[in-house]
Amino acid sequence: MLEAEHLRFTHPGATRHFDLSFAARPGEITAVSGQSGAGKSTLLDLIAGFLQPQSGRLALDGRDLLPLPPEQRPISILFQSETLFEHLSAQQNLALGLPRGATEQQSKIAAALNEVGLPGVLRQRADTLSGGEKQRVALARTLLRDRPVLLLDEPFSALDDETRGTIRTLVKSLTERHGWITMLVSHHADDVEALAARRYQLRDGMLFES
Amino acid sequence: MLLSPRSSNLVLPHRPLRLLAGAAIAAAIAALVALVLLAILATAAGEPSRQSRVDVWHLVVMTSIQAGLTTILSLLVGTALAWALNRLRFPGRDLVVGLFASAIVTPGLIVAFGLLAVWGRAGWINQAALALTGHPFEVPLFGLAGILAAHVILDASFAARILLARLDSIPEKRLKTGQSLGLGAWQRFTVIDWPMLRTTLPGLAAIIFLLAFTSFPIVLLLGGGPANQTLEVAIYAAVRLDFDLNGAVTLALVQIGICSAVILAASAFAPISASTGGSTPPRWRDGAVARIAQWVVLAFGIVGFALPLLAILIDGIGPGILDVASRESFWKALGTSLALGSGSAILTLLLALGIGMGRAASGRPLLRIGIGAPAYAYLAVPAVVLSLGAFLLVRNAGLLPETAGPVVVLLANGLLSLPFALATLAPPLDAIAERRGRLIRSLGLGGWRQFMAVEWPLIGREAGVVLALSFCFSLGDLGVIALFGTEDFTTLPLLMYRALGAYRSNDAAAIAALMLVITIAAFVLLPKLVGKLTDARS
Repeated sequence: MLEAEHLRFTHPGATRHFDLSFAARPGEITAVSGQSGAGKSTLLDLIAGFLQPQSGRLALDGRDLLPLPPEQRPISILFQSETLFEHLSAQQNLALGLPRGATEQQSKIAAALNEVGLPGVLRQRADTLSGGEKQRVALARTLLRDRPVLLLDEPFSALDDETRGTIRTLVKSLTERHGWITMLVSHHADDVEALAARRYQLRDGMLFES
Repeated sequence: MLLSPRSSNLVLPHRPLRLLAGAAIAAAIAALVALVLLAILATAAGEPSRQSRVDVWHLVVMTSIQAGLTTILSLLVGTALAWALNRLRFPGRDLVVGLFASAIVTPGLIVAFGLLAVWGRAGWINQAALALTGHPFEVPLFGLAGILAAHVILDASFAARILLARLDSIPEKRLKTGQSLGLGAWQRFTVIDWPMLRTTLPGLAAIIFLLAFTSFPIVLLLGGGPANQTLEVAIYAAVRLDFDLNGAVTLALVQIGICSAVILAASAFAPISASTGGSTPPRWRDGAVARIAQWVVLAFGIVGFALPLLAILIDGIGPGILDVASRESFWKALGTSLALGSGSAILTLLLALGIGMGRAASGRPLLRIGIGAPAYAYLAVPAVVLSLGAFLLVRNAGLLPETAGPVVVLLANGLLSLPFALATLAPPLDAIAERRGRLIRSLGLGGWRQFMAVEWPLIGREAGVVLALSFCFSLGDLGVIALFGTEDFTTLPLLMYRALGAYRSNDAAAIAALMLVITIAAFVLLPKLVGKLTDARS
């Protein structure tokens, strides 16, 4: 279980204060929605460690995450864009999800690509992939990183309707299969409707369960 | 140039080693420059007072007039050339754009010599006039007119390339709006082009003023005597010809003071980004009259810049080159030039990478300035002054200048290219850290992995440009080698200058042609080669 209790944060020079509490369970997608500018990205940055709260608690199965820098948190992130290094091949991007010198790199990468339904793009450069394919490769990298928490920052926004449906289904099935604690931030009601087992609304710097 | 704003929610990979390395390089450069300045000041205080013959006020006025006129003319010509190049589409356009881009690395000595080859007493034009009309057609090249002509050829081409990049970056939608409104050529220039150009002009003017103010070989060759001397040439003359160290030191301090003031003023302006890549003209063409004007401007530009270079190649590559090649001194100078060029190119790249990555690893403006600022020291302490300080340091340390010469010249040439190298490498390194920092951090990539997988493939072309710039600057340098050169330690520009001094113009032409070929080859091939080896975008 990923739990936050009164994560308090104020951007330097800003007047709005955040006071965030939530709980997210393994194998489920927890969705956070809110208007543009409500602070959805701030919430993800606090969980990922890109921002440090002034006070509060963030724990995964009772383990305090706040002292950890972003690279040491048990978290993977899928952004809306810039999610792959465009100058590298799919294989090279995926290799970045494995520790240096990891054994059986090739077979692990191939297996991850198979699981996301993209076995044929291994040597293709990321900038030649479609939006949906990029998100699949990024999901495959998430599989390789094998972290229990997955943060999704508007990951479907740049996709067409058909691809959006496919990727949504993939995210849901991967979350259930691997027992990930997946947190989705989106301002699209249909994404939230289709995926979320638990929903929060971000308003006036606070999260309200709906 | 130094203080680029960074987003407040910036996520940068945690890289203390890079910060440390960047800071260490910056401190070392600052210490070296401080040592050089101290050596100059100590000499000023310690030398027995002797009546110096240098007329500082006259030199400052002459240098300022020359640099000011160069700046105004170069910006006018450069703007006209950029305007014409932006509008016209024709076969070989890339070649012409590349020709103007190469102005930044074309040695001043070569351009000055090329002007003489075309417009001088024994030049093409005068020879043709004599043959056709029986009357000479002489242009007064020695003096202010010649200096201005050579400077404008180089600096207007440089300005044209920078301004063309600004015009190329006008958003497509703005052009479409202008076209749909039916703007005429003049309206288009004032409404669409000028707002893009005017933000760049002050910074560009400051750079051109500094380049002209600190110009050495052109004034040395075309100055025509003390009346047109500039501070740089006067410093050289005071040390090498008059043995007047007091005078040289006074001039060096004045030079540093004025250059520093210009840099301080320039730092308030928008930064100038290096432009050596391709250029795509917009589809919207101006009317017939404007296009005729554009063709005329372009024709004059090409003739003005390319003709002197063409004359050097035609005059130089002939039987004379075999004569030069038969001398041991030539091969020695060629070897020294290539070794110094390669060494300083690698040194510059390493220093620029160290500083650039250190700056990119920090989001604190003051720290970024602290790491980046010493790299721009050369702009305030130009080649001859740096060389003079090093000369004094070496002398005070009890070393013979010829013993320390190679190290000093290598180091000084490396530092001379550093501002341009950093201006080329820092923006992409900053952009990678800013755009990819979040992803790099979330993936937990280490510093080496970040460099090899992400940065190096993306900056390969820029690294090639840095190597080419630094190699060409070093190859064409006369300012540093002028004080340290000996019979045994000679580079191609010094050999060429000596040949001119001894009235062996055939030898000088052959050496100039060879230098030009090496410069063009390095400038064209190095970025492509390094880019192919490393660049993921190619």
